[in-house]
Amino acid sequence: MVDQGELRQKAKEVISREDVRRLIGWKRGTYGFEAAPAVIKDPSEADELVFDPTCVQNPASFVTLEEKPPLPRGVEPDLRKVGVFAKGCDSRALIQQMVEQAYERDHIVVIGIPCRGVIDHRKAEKLFGDVTPDLVEISGDKVVIEIGGEKREVAREDVLMAKCLRCRYPNPLISDVLVGGEVEKFADDDFSDVDEFEKKSPAEKWEFWEKEFSKCIRCYSCRNVCPMCYCPECVVTRLKPQWTRRSVDLSENTSYHIERSWHLAGRCIECMECERVCPMDIPIMTLNRKLTRDVKELFSYEPGTDVEASPLLTSYNPQDPEEYIM
Amino acid sequence: MSDEFEPTIIAFLCNWCSYAGADLAGTSRIHYPPNVKIIRVMCSGRVNPLFLMNALQQGADGVLISGCHPGDCHYLEGNYYSRRRFVLMHRLLEHIGVHPNRVHMSWVSASEGEKFKEVVSEVRDKVKEIGPMNQFGRRQINW
Ligand code: SF4
Ligand code: SF4
Ligand code: FES
Repeated sequence: MVDQGELRQKAKEVISREDVRRLIGWKRGTYGFEAAPAVIKDPSEADELVFDPTCVQNPASFVTLEEKPPLPRGVEPDLRKVGVFAKGCDSRALIQQMVEQAYERDHIVVIGIPCRGVIDHRKAEKLFGDVTPDLVEISGDKVVIEIGGEKREVAREDVLMAKCLRCRYPNPLISDVLVGGEVEKFADDDFSDVDEFEKKSPAEKWEFWEKEFSKCIRCYSCRNVCPMCYCPECVVTRLKPQWTRRSVDLSENTSYHIERSWHLAGRCIECMECERVCPMDIPIMTLNRKLTRDVKELFSYEPGTDVEASPLLTSYNPQDPEEYIM
Repeated sequence: MSDEFEPTIIAFLCNWCSYAGADLAGTSRIHYPPNVKIIRVMCSGRVNPLFLMNALQQGADGVLISGCHPGDCHYLEGNYYSRRRFVLMHRLLEHIGVHPNRVHMSWVSASEGEKFKEVVSEVRDKVKEIGPMNQFGRRQINW
């Protein structure tokens, strides 16, 4: 369990620095199993920051969100750094953004938090209903949840996000300040879920996706929340040329989902934000996972693990696999 | 006219090799299946995977992407990029249930008129075997 005092102290130190203009983290949410994102500008606000297993949202998504409106003549842009909290998976998003040169390494101050898993609100709501817990913490291999003064212990598999159950990087891969000690790696990934899905025949796969894609209402939440989706103009809403029409039907939805997952090939860092925010419960990760697996298998490439790497699809190796090429 | 299903195949051919190869097949009077509708692009590296999605949405039963042999690209490396791209895209489409034999890629040089014919015939046979594309055709709006 991360000590909240230490967390706030370190956050205070960072936000007090001359060269830091704001800090992105989490604060207590108003209801349910999820903490709310917080952006603070002043050391006095640091006391509202928290970290516990309800801090699911990936703060890396906010780093690239900032609008840069044209400034009046004579006004200098504020180029000071942005502080950002990062769990293991969040740090991968930051790295991948830097690999793509969204910003330079000295644009951010990373406050790394070794993490032992975060809550999947769908799983938790299924178990406990629509309640707000007083306390959530991980002790040993159990998750302790306190609701209305009553403590309950549940197995990790029953409440943690699927990404945590196969997390290979619980410790932040980059950090300037570390809160708490590093944790031991507690899980591994064998992509058995992808293998399992691939056993289906093409007809069965389509039957599955036809049902899922038809549900999509194209709210674009999955795109908006994604830390890697930060293009100023997105191809799916672009009008000239209009690759995907706006109508919400099976054809355009399929096109949207292929575009979205395809544009994240070799970039998705598996934070599962897209699937978490989907109001229609579409298993978006099933697409991302397939690409992640293939990228790893074909090109031994893992996005967001090496700041010096070049982006997968803007580099090549003459010996790349040819597979189906005639 | 027979009622037998004949697939429509959209082929994206690069200007410098595959398109010239198709041209050679024509001028050498090599017969190749007329199912293939050719779209000329400057380089196989120009082919955006969204072209492929759009073709499938708009009634193509199969798609062929063809460029210069690796190392021979007029722009030196376009086909290397496109190779990475389409190996992944092919697998992604397979994952959502598009039959893997609908999407093909080939290297055909300007001197390979005969190979162009073989590639096109093979693609046609394979797509014909799967049947018409009826998964996510775009709704036609005629106002
Ligand atoms: S969040 Fe869900 S419903 Fe919204 S666009 Fe994405 S997949 Fe569709
Ligand atoms: S596609 Fe989903 S899992 Fe991948 S980086 Fe974006 S939000 Fe995270
Ligand atoms: S010019 Fe033919 S593949 Fe690039």
